[in-house]
Amino acid sequence: MLHDGIRIHARGSFRDIAHRTPSSSTESIPNMMGIVFNLLETAVSRTYGDAQWHQLPDKAGLDGAYTSIGNYPDADAFRIVGVAAEVLQLPPGEVLRWFGRESMPMLAERYRIFFEGHSSARTLLPTINRVIHAEVRKLYPSALLPDFSFEDAPTDTLRMVYHSTRSLCDLAQGFIEGTALVFKEQITVEHPHCKIRGDHQCRFDIRFRELVPTNSPLAED
Amino acid sequence: MPPDENDTTVAQLALLSRRLEREHKARLAAEVLAEQGLRELYQTQQELRLLVSIADTANQSSSITGALRFAVTSICNHTGWEVGHAYLNHQLPAASPLRSARIWNDNLAPAFAELRDLTEQRSLVASDGWPGRVLAVRQPVWIRDLAAEPDAECQELSAAGQLRAAFAFPVIIGEEVAALLEFYCTRVQDEDPSLLSLLSQVGIQLSRAVERKISQDKLVYDATHDALTGLPNRQSFRQLLAQALLQAQQRDTHCAVLFIDLDHFKLVNDSMGHHAGDQLIVHVARRIRSSLQRLELTTPPDQYARPSCGGAVVARLGGDEFTVLLEDVIAESGPLQVAEQIQEVLKQPFQIYGQDVYSGASIGIALSAPGYYSGDEILRDADMAMYQAKSRGKSRCSVFDRSMRDLAARRLTIENDLRRALTRQEFLLNYQPIVALDNGEIIGFEALIRWRRGSTIVPPSDFIPVADNMGLIIPIGQWVLEEACRTLRHWQNHFPRQNPLTISVNVSPRQFRQPNFVMQVGRALHNAGIEPSALTLEITEGATMGNPERAIATLLQLRGLGVKLSIDDFGTGYSSLSYLHRFPLHALKIDRSFIARIDGSFQSFQVVHSIMSLANNLGIGVVAEGIETIEQVEQLRALLCQFGQGYHFSRPLTQTDAQQLLTRPVVCLTR
Repeated sequence: MLHDGIRIHARGSFRDIAHRTPSSSTESIPNMMGIVFNLLETAVSRTYGDAQWHQLPDKAGLDGAYTSIGNYPDADAFRIVGVAAEVLQLPPGEVLRWFGRESMPMLAERYRIFFEGHSSARTLLPTINRVIHAEVRKLYPSALLPDFSFEDAPTDTLRMVYHSTRSLCDLAQGFIEGTALVFKEQITVEHPHCKIRGDHQCRFDIRFRELVPTNSPLAED
Repeated sequence: MPPDENDTTVAQLALLSRRLEREHKARLAAEVLAEQGLRELYQTQQELRLLVSIADTANQSSSITGALRFAVTSICNHTGWEVGHAYLNHQLPAASPLRSARIWNDNLAPAFAELRDLTEQRSLVASDGWPGRVLAVRQPVWIRDLAAEPDAECQELSAAGQLRAAFAFPVIIGEEVAALLEFYCTRVQDEDPSLLSLLSQVGIQLSRAVERKISQDKLVYDATHDALTGLPNRQSFRQLLAQALLQAQQRDTHCAVLFIDLDHFKLVNDSMGHHAGDQLIVHVARRIRSSLQRLELTTPPDQYARPSCGGAVVARLGGDEFTVLLEDVIAESGPLQVAEQIQEVLKQPFQIYGQDVYSGASIGIALSAPGYYSGDEILRDADMAMYQAKSRGKSRCSVFDRSMRDLAARRLTIENDLRRALTRQEFLLNYQPIVALDNGEIIGFEALIRWRRGSTIVPPSDFIPVADNMGLIIPIGQWVLEEACRTLRHWQNHFPRQNPLTISVNVSPRQFRQPNFVMQVGRALHNAGIEPSALTLEITEGATMGNPERAIATLLQLRGLGVKLSIDDFGTGYSSLSYLHRFPLHALKIDRSFIARIDGSFQSFQVVHSIMSLANNLGIGVVAEGIETIEQVEQLRALLCQFGQGYHFSRPLTQTDAQQLLTRPVVCLTR
């Protein structure tokens, strides 16, 4: 029933990964950083209330402690997202994108040091690989991290190429949008190439329309 | 549900809710702490990994620059800083200003190119500027923002290179900064104390590795170089020669070896001490080297026009033996020219402890030719040619030819036989009477050594130089002294006289310079039981050369013993007339060459006359050697010469024949 539910709503990327349960995998199990569960918990609790969150692991049949410093099977995360999609009546891709969008302001709050010195997603996004991922590795030395590279593009556009074995491009798009929210920027994100749609890589064209405030909200604290 | 029960449930729920809230907060707090711990652990592990990898690589690296290169790259990777560069003291272990080691980790290549060139040209000194201040404080220095620094170097780096933050640390060995590593990034960065302390550790690890490398290099250097002169030693010369020979064969050219042996080294060493000998060797090495350098400077670049040769290497094989390897030799005249030039510079006096010391050198030359299979053969032949040069007289030069091998073989046989001659009792003494010229009375004898080698009797001129060269002259000389004293005792017993018979014994310079020589003489006298005044020791002027003061001291001790002293072959050596009056002598022996010409050459007559006057003035006697005719006797008597010896009176006799002569003590002096 649960799996059916996921399948009904899942888009390609999600479906592919969600059925890789720990028991069916012969390779080493890909792990998700505990912080992802934490963020999800906070996002769901803030938007839909504590009760909503607490029923998700129950409904997914999971009993992990999900602390920020642990590593948990990818499948656990996908099950929870699947159940969330069911409960919230949204497609899983939308849930991921929403989650990404919600996560960024929370991360900015929790790890403000990475955001200091930036006043725009335009400068912060290119530092993810070098600065943020380097920091992530300190907590999760074995973390399987995506790679973001940047290509030449028209001046008002930041062209980001996303590589990940997980193909969570919806989540990546949510993160991009969430970063813009942190800086109160209005952006449009196009996703002209997508691996799930059969392209050889995912590409995002981020267009910055207007910079509402010039300073980071963090600077006001 | 009763109302109070409902209230209780609500209260319990609120309690649980608050408890949950607290638990949630506790979890978040615990997570923050745990994250911090993990982060620090990760940081420490990374730092440790960096330190260990730099230390390991430095220790395994075959070169200092290899170790520095790895350190620069690793630190850039660790910090994510764009530019890293190393300065090095290229003269290690000597002190010298640091210069760029041309080791770069440069991720800004085009933007930084010009600054890079400038950096590679500068030489770093301790200063207020950057990175000179690191040399001044001798510890890691961090600059948060180059643009905010007052000094010009920082301004330039930030303006031209778009660099903002910088740090640098020294690699210190003993008192000296051996290297300096500097790093730059394009962002402003606050000082990171834990990174600075890590860099101090890296500096220490690198300094240990550099130190080890220096001592390894020193070991290799010491194994291949002569400690005294710094020249390549025998081992490395042989290697160089082997390479040169191979190259000569491949290129169809020739190489040559000059074997150089100093002429008076033993004399300096024995008379002035080993320190003086060492000084002489150092001076000689310097002169040979600069002479070869001059040669290279004056050699025209056109190889067809130049008469001499290409590269030259000088080495010290040991003792007073030097070798020169000449490559690309076109004609025999090249090495000869080089040899003459070396002889010329070695002929000039050396200043050793304030004294002028004259040396000179005998040089043997061997050229590579078909038939030589190893460098050792060439070296051996050059040695042979040197020996040949030496035997022809001092300061000569010989080019090896095949006949020298036979000569060398003969010499080797003589050496082997000489070594056994003493134990086999093959030496014997002949005795030549010394006669009073006024009355013909035999006053004593000169003991003369002979070697019975198989069925032949070898004259001293054929084996004494060899024995001297081998050092065998010392035990042989001692045997002569003791044997002569024993014979005299025997004769004095059998032929008692009012003026007892005397015996004259030749003493070689080496024997005379032995520290315990006086004691040896005393023991010989005591063992034989003869009066010291019956023994005359004949020394040559050569024995007193080099260190006349020491010679005077020995002579005074001998006179104190009661022994008589005479100078042999007077007039042929380097007569140091300034010292002669201070020598406690009893007689001068005029060399036979003057006596042989005394009746035909006015000059010789004059020489003998002068020696007589000199002896008279000094109040000492004169013995004329090599008297062969009655005319010579008469001339000498006219000059009031008291004593003489020579074939005219008697050839050297065996002990038995001498005894026979003693039965008729007056020798016929008239026609």
